[in-house]
Amino acid sequence: MSARLHALGILKAYLGGKNEVVVETGNTVRETIRALDIPPEIVALVLVNDTPQSKEYRVQDGDVVTLMAVVGGG
Amino acid sequence: MLRLYAESAKCSGCRACLVACSLNLFQENNPKKAALAILAHFPTPGTYEVKVCTQCGECAAVCPTGAIKQNARGAYYVDFAECTLCEACVPVCPENVMFVRAELAPAAWKCDLCGDCVAVCGTDVLRIGEIEAKA
Amino acid sequence: MNGYGGNILRVNLTTGKIAKEPTPPELARDFLGGRGFGAYFLFQEVPQGADPLGPENKLIISSGPLSGLLIPGAGKCDFACKSPLTGGYAGASLGGHLTAEIKYAGLDSIILEGISPKPVYLFIDDDRIELRDAASLWGKGAITVEKALKDQLGEEFQIACVGPGAENGVRYAHINHDYGRQAGRGGVGTVMGAKKVKALAIRGTRAIPVADLDAYRRAARNLYDACKQSELLKPWQNLGTTMVVSWCDEVGALPTRNFSAGSFEGGKTLYGPVMREQIVVTDKGCFGCPSPCGKYSRTKRYGTNVEGPEYETIGMIGSNLGIANIEDVAQINFLCDEWGVDTISAGGAIAWAMECYEKGILTKAETGGLDLKFGNVEAVLTLIPQIAKREGLGALLAEGTRRAARALGKGSEKFAIEVKGMEQSAYATHSATAMLLAYMTADVGAHHNRAWAITYDLQVGRELVNADKVARVIWLQHIRPMFDTLGACRLQWVELNIDLELYPPALAAITGVERSWRDLELVSERIWNLTRMYWVREVPGFGRAWDMPPQRFYAEPPKTGVTAGKITSLDDVNKLLDLYYEQRGWDANGLPKPETLKRLGLDKLVA
Ligand code: SF4
Ligand code: SF4
Repeated sequence: MSARLHALGILKAYLGGKNEVVVETGNTVRETIRALDIPPEIVALVLVNDTPQSKEYRVQDGDVVTLMAVVGGG
Repeated sequence: MLRLYAESAKCSGCRACLVACSLNLFQENNPKKAALAILAHFPTPGTYEVKVCTQCGECAAVCPTGAIKQNARGAYYVDFAECTLCEACVPVCPENVMFVRAELAPAAWKCDLCGDCVAVCGTDVLRIGEIEAKA
Repeated sequence: MNGYGGNILRVNLTTGKIAKEPTPPELARDFLGGRGFGAYFLFQEVPQGADPLGPENKLIISSGPLSGLLIPGAGKCDFACKSPLTGGYAGASLGGHLTAEIKYAGLDSIILEGISPKPVYLFIDDDRIELRDAASLWGKGAITVEKALKDQLGEEFQIACVGPGAENGVRYAHINHDYGRQAGRGGVGTVMGAKKVKALAIRGTRAIPVADLDAYRRAARNLYDACKQSELLKPWQNLGTTMVVSWCDEVGALPTRNFSAGSFEGGKTLYGPVMREQIVVTDKGCFGCPSPCGKYSRTKRYGTNVEGPEYETIGMIGSNLGIANIEDVAQINFLCDEWGVDTISAGGAIAWAMECYEKGILTKAETGGLDLKFGNVEAVLTLIPQIAKREGLGALLAEGTRRAARALGKGSEKFAIEVKGMEQSAYATHSATAMLLAYMTADVGAHHNRAWAITYDLQVGRELVNADKVARVIWLQHIRPMFDTLGACRLQWVELNIDLELYPPALAAITGVERSWRDLELVSERIWNLTRMYWVREVPGFGRAWDMPPQRFYAEPPKTGVTAGKITSLDDVNKLLDLYYEQRGWDANGLPKPETLKRLGLDKLVA
């Protein structure tokens, strides 16, 4: 049971420069990104299978979770 | 045979395609001299409409001097040297994208399917594809 | 001149005289265009002590060397004047298609001088330039007027116009264009209204000359390719600036009830994805933009169309007024656009009034019977036209928060959320020191346009105060306004993360002059110091006190939300300023030192 997590922009640095990692299912997005040492407060947008979701979404088997940082605002 | 297709609902009215077009046709930055048209319907309903050449060839059929020819891509284009600005082509274009503006250019102009507009459109409105047989 | 329209147009409204002069090459060399031209003409030509609403003030409308070219978002137009809101420098940026049209008409700047004896609009069709009667347009809403002029003159004309708020001297009236883009801040619309210019209608059909056509086309293609290949493009296109609403709420930066907190319990219904699903009809972009942030919306409840609301508006007239419904926010936004007032300042002023009301400082008698509690949508819908017409409580709020608070007194100055007289835009800065400094030092007042540093705060530690943070703010204050100088949008760099180094080759191919980012930063620093010297010249006693943040951000920690109990100390505020002045080469009172002015080549200009 696994899902993929994909980080965009400056967040890649937290994945050791990698684009994508495999993550466990059953945890919330918030728990998942904390476990990866990504501070949840710099993640602006969470997409699960291209649909925006909150950080409390529970990751399910086969999900593709995309994280986007806030870069600059307005 | 290829032509340009446009999906108007995705257009954001930026006009990048128009500048790219004028750079190809006239080597000029001048969106008034582009061979596609962006119609803005604001404030209601608040949508854009993209008019593009379908390469139907109606213009070439009526041109009395034979100035509208086909290029290697199979697209009809205006041979500027042979155009006499008679404007016969303008009213027959079903999409209103055959242009004559004598104050801006000494010849009629139209889409020659260079693809530069497709390259700059950020919202994937435009694409070049095979002409689909009419249903 | 390659990359330029080539002329400065002067319109003397008092005499009706219209004259063109060639754009001076030294001006292009030292100040580039856009914001640089605006700051230069303002400093040089508007006499010291001019009344912002009098004939001596000028409204300077400038394009930049990238405007109207095949460059992502090359649609930024700069409006400069002496601000009727702050009494200092006003420089507002407008997106859309106006600036491109200015260039195609062979112009770089349009300078409106004097005051017209009767309402007029400026008509420009290439070389045909006329002041035309606008009696039938006067008093009408900005969106209505744009439509009327387009119907009359044709779709090819680009329109910029003001609403009743500007005619009636609301100190934060805006200039509207493209059905919902605005030069919003500092009262640039107020100055246009005072000059009795209802609108500008412009069409240009000329090509813009470039130095090296092939190199330019290659550089342009590289920029577009980079934007289109960015992984950030799709999410940005989907949400635009509303992407940050949920994030700000989560980190305590979403202004809530007059900035008394940074998280809003009703926030969820204002989030970007909710808005997208409920009201957005069309994505709308500025000239040449591959990543349109404009979200054009239609409300079901009110049946109105509006561009937006974008993030700042959602913050200022949504959460900051305690309003939690996106349709209501969109409707208030629509009223602001049509009546011609800036959503940020209007939101700030109304939030202040609501806090006064809840504290009993304003009574129901003084609000004209309005129950001005946070969250009362009907009251806000009533107030916007009142502000524009200067009726009832609207007359007080039309003066802006600083003047209103000084007039009312009774302790209401303590929660007037403004710097230099300009209402703070939509980032709560109780615990984000770089963003706080950005607001304190922005050269128009508390606006985020010059430096947006709040993500940096969260990356390096939001309460940290050190030289690196200050350096970051200064760097942003040079890079971001450079885009307003060049006449293009910064958001492709900011949001799509494209490489800044893609711009200098394009600029060089267009103008024929090689410039690195180092060179460009120097121009930015020159402009920054010139606008600072404008404040020094115009505002008696100007100095450090003008850079102080609203008291709330160092004296009143929020009681709710994630920043509850957190606040920057007054000591840290002062430390931020000390570090900032030192790095800028300014003295302890915040005035540029003579050697700094000399290094930037400003010594003669400001002497
Ligand atoms: S480039 Fe694309 S989005 Fe822009 S006007 Fe053309 S078709 Fe519309
Ligand atoms: S990102 Fe937004 S502001 Fe910038 S050019 Fe595009 S539409 Fe305009």
